Amino acid sequence: MSDPSLVDDATVEIDHVSVWFGPKVALSEVTCSFGPGVTGLLGPNGAGKTTLMRAIAGMLPPNQGHVRVEDLDPRTQREAHRVLALVPEDEAVPEALTARQFVRYTAALHGVTGREAPDAALATVGLTEVADRRLGGFSKGMRQRAKVAAALVGDPRVLVLDEPLNGADPVQRVALIDLFRRLAADGRTVIVSSHVLHEVERLAERVIVLAHGRIAAAGGHRAIRDAMSDRPRRVLVRAPQTRRLASALVSLDSVAGVSIAGEEVTVSTTSAREFARVIAVLARDLDVHLVEVRPLDDSLESLFRELVR
Amino acid sequence: MSTALAVVGYTFRACLPAKRRLGLLVLAIVTVVFGALAQDSPSGRAAIGIVETPAVVVFALVLPIGALVVGDAVLGSEVRGGVFAFTWLSPARLSTILLGRWLAGTAMTCAALVPAVVLAAIVGGAPEVAASFAVATAAGAACYLAVFVAIGANFRRAPVASLVYVFLIERLLGAALSSIAQISPGWLAAGVLTGSIDDVPDDLVRNGVPQGAAAVARLAIITVIALALALRGLRRLRIAGAAD
Repeated sequence: MSDPSLVDDATVEIDHVSVWFGPKVALSEVTCSFGPGVTGLLGPNGAGKTTLMRAIAGMLPPNQGHVRVEDLDPRTQREAHRVLALVPEDEAVPEALTARQFVRYTAALHGVTGREAPDAALATVGLTEVADRRLGGFSKGMRQRAKVAAALVGDPRVLVLDEPLNGADPVQRVALIDLFRRLAADGRTVIVSSHVLHEVERLAERVIVLAHGRIAAAGGHRAIRDAMSDRPRRVLVRAPQTRRLASALVSLDSVAGVSIAGEEVTVSTTSAREFARVIAVLARDLDVHLVEVRPLDDSLESLFRELVR
Repeated sequence: MSTALAVVGYTFRACLPAKRRLGLLVLAIVTVVFGALAQDSPSGRAAIGIVETPAVVVFALVLPIGALVVGDAVLGSEVRGGVFAFTWLSPARLSTILLGRWLAGTAMTCAALVPAVVLAAIVGGAPEVAASFAVATAAGAACYLAVFVAIGANFRRAPVASLVYVFLIERLLGAALSSIAQISPGWLAAGVLTGSIDDVPDDLVRNGVPQGAAAVARLAIITVIALALALRGLRRLRIAGAAD
């Protein structure tokens, strides 16, 4: 399949979906699909990530287009929720319930009988010891984990997680990332949105970047970076003779601008590939010792900042 | 545990926070206090005294406000707060969810107000009307709950819409227009009570509003219609977050 927004073994299909709230268009003609494995959903606030996730879960009906989850319409076919679970971003939880009561309730709604499954779900997210405490007294991270447990108790094949790592401490983040990867390794479709981009890099094999309600890019991290190689990027150059180096750099075709701060020169380049080739030659010609040359944009964070500009 | 029982159990445990429970307690106390005032009825009959004072307070104020407090809590408040998503995101039928919430809400309202009206009747010196006062309150509570659940499922600002319904439509327009009173849970619940008392003076019977069993039947019809509207609202519900 040539379109990187689409996958061959799709379990979730988004077909020309548009959602608007009054005059505000939250999603515009979005077409993509998700299959087994972890897919990261990236984009700044207001990009449409949450709206897309809610549309996948059936909580928002698309104004145009269709959403299918394992060939079911999650909006009108309640059976879709046997295979699909969403962990919403909102902190809201039924505060009067204990974590155990909450997970047992969602288990009962999914027709899961017995106490083993709720207890196992709580153990999976590390909440066994506080399972009989009320959710109202939980921290943000603990609430997130309780919601993940509630989502897992129905054993869903498609798991949609809206900022699931919010509020989790570093140890919990590692544990949750490990959990999501294991769920994906079992053949589940896991869709994760997050603002913590280096974690998405660690978590997701595939990334879909949303900007202004549209898909800005899709594919693996490397494929997206390669596609960006000729886009403007910033490179930090550290050397002892910064002014001499900077004045030579500005004459290069691939350099759009430079700024100097102490022994550091920040270079805006129109072609990172070309700049990487000429900087070494230039340093040799000027007899300048390069202490460090480091791209400042080599992360998904800079990538989507670039994509959504 | 069946899905319906799970929904009922959840509603009892999770949906009525302490402030709302306190509100219900205050309304129950007000009911009993007004029951005591019924002893001084100028008619000389305690049963008539109950219809003149505590019943008016219960059906015009205590019952609709109590049902509003509970009815909004069991659905509208959860929808606005985002908590309803955990129930909605399940394979459970929406009709089961709706009936479970309505039943639990009705039970909670009745648990607070029915003992209060029974006590009011006893304190007011007319224990013989306690049963019919209780039936009228329970039937009215069931109908009001259905109405407020329907408002919660269809209106984003459900408390405002519910207050407009009670005070503007039911009390203000209902007092002037008998066509409104004929489909008002408050007026019909009062009709259930007055229909069970012999020789009620004409000025205490609302023209055109059915009495006794006929009022119960009409309350049941309105309840069914309100629940159908609530189900339609649940099917159309857009659960949107602040993030987008």
